[in-house]
Amino acid sequence: MTRLRQRLRRGYPPNENNDPSPRCFTGISISPPVKPYRYVGSGRRQLKFLSLLLRVAVTFLAIAPAQAESDLEIRIGSKKFTESVILSEVITQHLQTNKIRAVHRDQLGGTRLLWKALVQGELDIYPDYTGTIIYEILQGEKVTSDPEIKAALARHGVSITGPLGFNNTYALGVSPSTAAKYSLQSISDLRQYPELRFGFTNEFMDREDGWPSLRDHYQLPQTSVRGLDHDLAYKGLEAESIDLIDLYSTDAEIAYYQLAVLEDDKSYFPDYRAVILYRTDLLERVPQIQAYLNQLVGSISEAEMITMNSNVKLDGHSEAEVAQEFLNVKFNTLSKIEVSTRFDRLIRSTKEHLFLVSLSLGAAILVAIPLGIWGAKNSTLGQVILSVVGIIQTIPSLALLVFMIPLLGIGGPPALVALFLYSLLPIVRNTLSGLAGLPIDVQESARALGLPPAARLRMIELPLAARSILAGIKTSAVINVGTATLGALIGAGGYGQPILTGIRLDDTSLILEGAIPAAILALLVQWSFDLAERTLLSPGIQTKQETSS
Amino acid sequence: MIRLEQITKSFNGNEVIHDLSLDVPAGKTVVLIGPSGCGKSTLLRLMVGLLWPDSGNIALFQKNLSRKNLEALRQQVGFVLQDGGLFPHMTAIQNMRLMADYLKYDTDKTNHRIAELCELTHISTDLLNRYPSELSGGQVQRIALMRALMLDPQILFLDEPLGALDPLNRVSLQEEMKSIFSQLRKTVVLVTHDMGEAAALADLIVIMKDGYLLQYDTLSNLSAHPADPFVTEFINAQRKPWQQLEDQIN
Repeated sequence: MTRLRQRLRRGYPPNENNDPSPRCFTGISISPPVKPYRYVGSGRRQLKFLSLLLRVAVTFLAIAPAQAESDLEIRIGSKKFTESVILSEVITQHLQTNKIRAVHRDQLGGTRLLWKALVQGELDIYPDYTGTIIYEILQGEKVTSDPEIKAALARHGVSITGPLGFNNTYALGVSPSTAAKYSLQSISDLRQYPELRFGFTNEFMDREDGWPSLRDHYQLPQTSVRGLDHDLAYKGLEAESIDLIDLYSTDAEIAYYQLAVLEDDKSYFPDYRAVILYRTDLLERVPQIQAYLNQLVGSISEAEMITMNSNVKLDGHSEAEVAQEFLNVKFNTLSKIEVSTRFDRLIRSTKEHLFLVSLSLGAAILVAIPLGIWGAKNSTLGQVILSVVGIIQTIPSLALLVFMIPLLGIGGPPALVALFLYSLLPIVRNTLSGLAGLPIDVQESARALGLPPAARLRMIELPLAARSILAGIKTSAVINVGTATLGALIGAGGYGQPILTGIRLDDTSLILEGAIPAAILALLVQWSFDLAERTLLSPGIQTKQETSS
Repeated sequence: MIRLEQITKSFNGNEVIHDLSLDVPAGKTVVLIGPSGCGKSTLLRLMVGLLWPDSGNIALFQKNLSRKNLEALRQQVGFVLQDGGLFPHMTAIQNMRLMADYLKYDTDKTNHRIAELCELTHISTDLLNRYPSELSGGQVQRIALMRALMLDPQILFLDEPLGALDPLNRVSLQEEMKSIFSQLRKTVVLVTHDMGEAAALADLIVIMKDGYLLQYDTLSNLSAHPADPFVTEFINAQRKPWQQLEDQIN
């Protein structure tokens, strides 16, 4: 049980020992729920349908591999921006170099999600900033001094290291041409130009030390303010679709785009010194860890951080490489942490993706077919069932994923449950319509022969509805393969991970590294379902192949 | 053999069978006949328990039909539908063997029975491995009849078994059925709207109209002593084309 939980928590199969090869899984096309069938062919396989269903479901479940994971594995999280990923990579590799089993769960989301995951024990460590801790995490507790922060965090079971060295505060930036046009030098200067269009990160839009109180502090009149992704903000600025964005002062792009940073002349922005947050109980589990974390305190200067950011965002190195180089210089080590190749990443994403798709789809098959049968036997109940699974389907997938976080934390479980829920409708609907739409003479003669209801279902009704049910599973599987890419947003990995990183780093090849395999997987799923249909359905109910040339 | 006592049946508040009683003696072929919508198919379905009456009793083999003994009683009767009602995902022989195999009958006996039935219905054994979609209408009806006879039931119910066939096939299968029924001495209840078919097959005829049983008698008695003007009208309306031609000439 514990093993399963751990596996679920990680959300992907970390072990290569098991056999991840999908047997009858793959293949998909969106077919209409019920095709009119023509009866052709010969052979005897009418009872194979049940075993087929079982085999499909069990195969999906079996792809989910087994792997025990030690409680001693330390999980380090990072937020969805480059500097956070680099810092967590530095921490992870530093611990690994010192023989501590550490994994980096990268780009999970924003502050609230990371903090919640840390408090709930989904994560053990993540880096954050003093300003964020005071104004976002401990919002309302009115803490200012370091001892107060320490005490407030301790109440949540969290400890904090000393500052890592650099201060990465918020700042407001404009393009050189905008700065010249309006002769902008300080934030106060903005008051005279209400027409300026602001684009802020979504987190900055609504945090206590973000836009609303900045506006009050400086009496800013601008109304065109929208939230957008930090990495896309630079693009917006360059394209002149927005005039001003929020910056992190260690951003590599400030120099690259020669942005004018407006002076905080009324001292609004607090300090954002980088620190490491970790669960206090970590010291009981791995006592030596405090010493290793403290080695990082005061080790990163502002210039070093800007260089690392620049190496990743502008020069195209991976966070892992940059972190490794930093540690080798700092601690005079020659760590052998290998940089993952595109192929390694592909294998890993594929495993994660298959895990998500197979487990959620397998469970959906086991639940949806009985629901469909139940609904077909009782039309009032059938309407209720269809309505409920239909409503679930209308919830936007991103929203459904986010709803799951408070219930199930981050990583595999919420993604699996969301995908499971999404997979229900096509299977339930096709099972129900396939059974309800059976020709009346077939239903009557099955009853008149004296077959009891269970035998009728098994020998007559399900085999005849098999085409429709298979089409439903196929539709579910294709949707599932696509939707599973969103799992990366809550740390479940999969093909969404390179897509997400690709968007953050503005790297098309990385985006394609996720998008192309996802499309290929969808096609494979389609094909293998087509094959399954041909080999497993009775020739008596096969659609005759279209022979038009 | 089959006894219906004061049966009424409504669909959505419309009464379609009114207080109907009927006794079918063992070994006889009884034909239910009447215009469309007279309730003859409904009556047949009530006898097999595919429908339940609102009031009244139905007994097969002197046993009242109930939900408890339904499956057991059904296994002692055969049922043939207008389109055969064969299962499209099974071959002809799988359709025939289905119940015997389900009830775990001895395989040799089952095979022997199939050979016997093939002879009886003049079906070539080559056809047995075909799916229903690969058989002609007449072949489908013969297989359906064989499936109904497989467990050697004492009662056969047939709902317009010849209704979907072309005239030539109709006549030949009608002749075959007649000889099969007399050879096997089954109790047969057959629904049709064709007076010629009734005349050829029936020992006794039930004439129905609007959910009422108008008369239940032999053909000659129906003709000689009609209980209702409609009986005469119905019999005469279905005379053969050449008879009509004769009438015109005379």
